[in-house]
Amino acid sequence: MSQRGDGAGATIRLERTFHARAQDVFDAWTSVEVLRRWWHAGRDWETPHAELDLRPGGAIRITMRDPHRGVNYGGGGEFTEIEPPRRLAFTWTWDDDPSTQQLVEVDFTEHGEHTTVRLTNSGVPGRSTEGHVAGWEVSFVNLDGALQP
Amino acid sequence: MTGDPFRALGHPIRRGVIERLAEGPTTVGEATRGFDVSKPTLSKHLRVLEEAGLITRVVDGRTHRLALNVEPLRDAGAWIDEQRGRWEGLFDAVQSFLEERR
Repeated sequence: MSQRGDGAGATIRLERTFHARAQDVFDAWTSVEVLRRWWHAGRDWETPHAELDLRPGGAIRITMRDPHRGVNYGGGGEFTEIEPPRRLAFTWTWDDDPSTQQLVEVDFTEHGEHTTVRLTNSGVPGRSTEGHVAGWEVSFVNLDGALQP
Repeated sequence: MTGDPFRALGHPIRRGVIERLAEGPTTVGEATRGFDVSKPTLSKHLRVLEEAGLITRVVDGRTHRLALNVEPLRDAGAWIDEQRGRWEGLFDAVQSFLEERR
């Protein structure tokens, strides 16, 4: 886990389509209930703290606890953009990587009865020492051969 | 001092060099051929890659050969997977929440 800080310049993108209207997906995304369930799938972890204040500058914060190992995980930040039901953005810092402030942008696109959610997790703009962090997408396509053990 | 492999890869010329070296070690001239920038600029890009531990340079007389070192990329890949997994969990939570309400 010592490599975390090295990843400050990476951009991670995730996308998933849900069978629901954009407003419902947006409401789910911004509910404390969903925040509490984060990381709970298939685990009996506890959530000692979950907080979500849906307004610009409002806090989003969660502490998760693995009772078997007695370890806490968590993170938090502040909402920077709230445009229901299309877009959401918040700063984010993991507790186990306090030196790295990140930006999480979530875009909701409704098509028919489905809504596609795109999450972009990047370093906070302007924090980079070289100024072109956002330009790099995770792509090891041409390195596959070289990366084989 | 080891630099950040992500930042090192944050430039098309440096990615180009890495992609060429993925095919095997080669000379500096071959690894940087065709990039339309000055020699000092190329040297700077190579230095960034060296400082990130992504390439190693072997000096053989007048010939400098470069080789790719994949370990930092492996570490970076593992880090990416770990971060991705964290956010995947949030997608899972949204999905189960929506399915229960339907």
